[in-house]
Amino acid sequence: MSARPGQASAASVHVMEPIERVIRWILLCGIALSVALMAAGLVLGVARGAGLPRGVVPLAELPRALAALRPAAYLSLGLIVLIGTPFVRVAGSLVVFARERDGRYVLVTAVVLFVMCLGVALGRM
Amino acid sequence: MGALIALLAVAFLAGVFGSMLGVGGGLIMVPMLSLAFGVPIKVAIATSIVCVIATSTMAQTTFVTRGMTNIRLGMLLEVATVVGAVAGGVTAVLIDGRVLQFAFAGLLFYVAWQMNRRGGDATPARTGVLEASYYDPAARREIEYGVRRTRLGFVLSLGAGNVSGLLGVGGGAFKVPIMNLVMGVPLKATIATSNLMIGVTAAAGAAIFYGRGYMDPYYAVPAALGILAGARLGPRLAVRLSARALGIIFQVVLAVFALMMLLRGLGFGL
Repeated sequence: MSARPGQASAASVHVMEPIERVIRWILLCGIALSVALMAAGLVLGVARGAGLPRGVVPLAELPRALAALRPAAYLSLGLIVLIGTPFVRVAGSLVVFARERDGRYVLVTAVVLFVMCLGVALGRM
Repeated sequence: MGALIALLAVAFLAGVFGSMLGVGGGLIMVPMLSLAFGVPIKVAIATSIVCVIATSTMAQTTFVTRGMTNIRLGMLLEVATVVGAVAGGVTAVLIDGRVLQFAFAGLLFYVAWQMNRRGGDATPARTGVLEASYYDPAARREIEYGVRRTRLGFVLSLGAGNVSGLLGVGGGAFKVPIMNLVMGVPLKATIATSNLMIGVTAAAGAAIFYGRGYMDPYYAVPAALGILAGARLGPRLAVRLSARALGIIFQVVLAVFALMMLLRGLGFGL
């Protein structure tokens, strides 16, 4: 309980639990991938002299648009990765809870994931 | 080009405040985009939802590293908020939008007043429920706490999720007070945990908006990039500021939110 700065900084080092490490890793990967894709889209847009495109590319047309190096495709995929990151984060938490045999939180997390997907399904109708 | 830089700057500020307070900031981004940048309202909402996800995702990389996020508590309350949010679309038919906006504004004022009346932070106590601890650099000590009144907090979170589903705002403005005032979780841990939760509800919403074609990279990409930069700074501020200072900033932002919702209810096009 000392207020000495040296001790304070030693105490501030938090040893992450497995769930924290997994979540952090998933989020960092999501951010890095999404920013890289958006940057690629911006560079392609500038290179083609078209600036920022309007409107996203629908999922079904995405592979072809990516292959054609359309800036909108890379920007769209960057946004999709960003939007998908929380889904992956919840799924990753589920796996960690399962590995820790924490049945209650496997259930809780499964319900969250299910309702997220249900929301998407309902919204599409 | 000027508009693009302005959008980046606005998003950066929204990222700082949203992540520092755990509120996402959709309530600020939507009117900002539609009034200042002339973005169509549905596109503005879609953009703001992307901003909430970016805020949540980036903020967590700091909060999780510091052990401030109570992941289990967040996951438990996410059940309530995400169910409430999905149900929001169903109950929207039953309640007049204007009545809801006035109620939302009134509730925000009430919560800000309650937090102000309480003065300081929640007093941490061991309860045996979802206990956690984190190091608070401002207080220079380890804060250990347990969760109180889990059931009441869960029910209230259902309501918060429902309102956010109805009004299309993230609902972090209610998640923080519910955890702090009702469940006795210290403010910094509630901000970190709320930040985790807002990303989940927003992700489901964003996927729907994408599918319906309201997502526009012209706005969403600069906004997301600005937010990501801001949300690296915000959590660092939240960690270093005293809980008391954070609480005061939070109350002011709640009052601003309430005012904006009141204006929206009065038909000022916000």
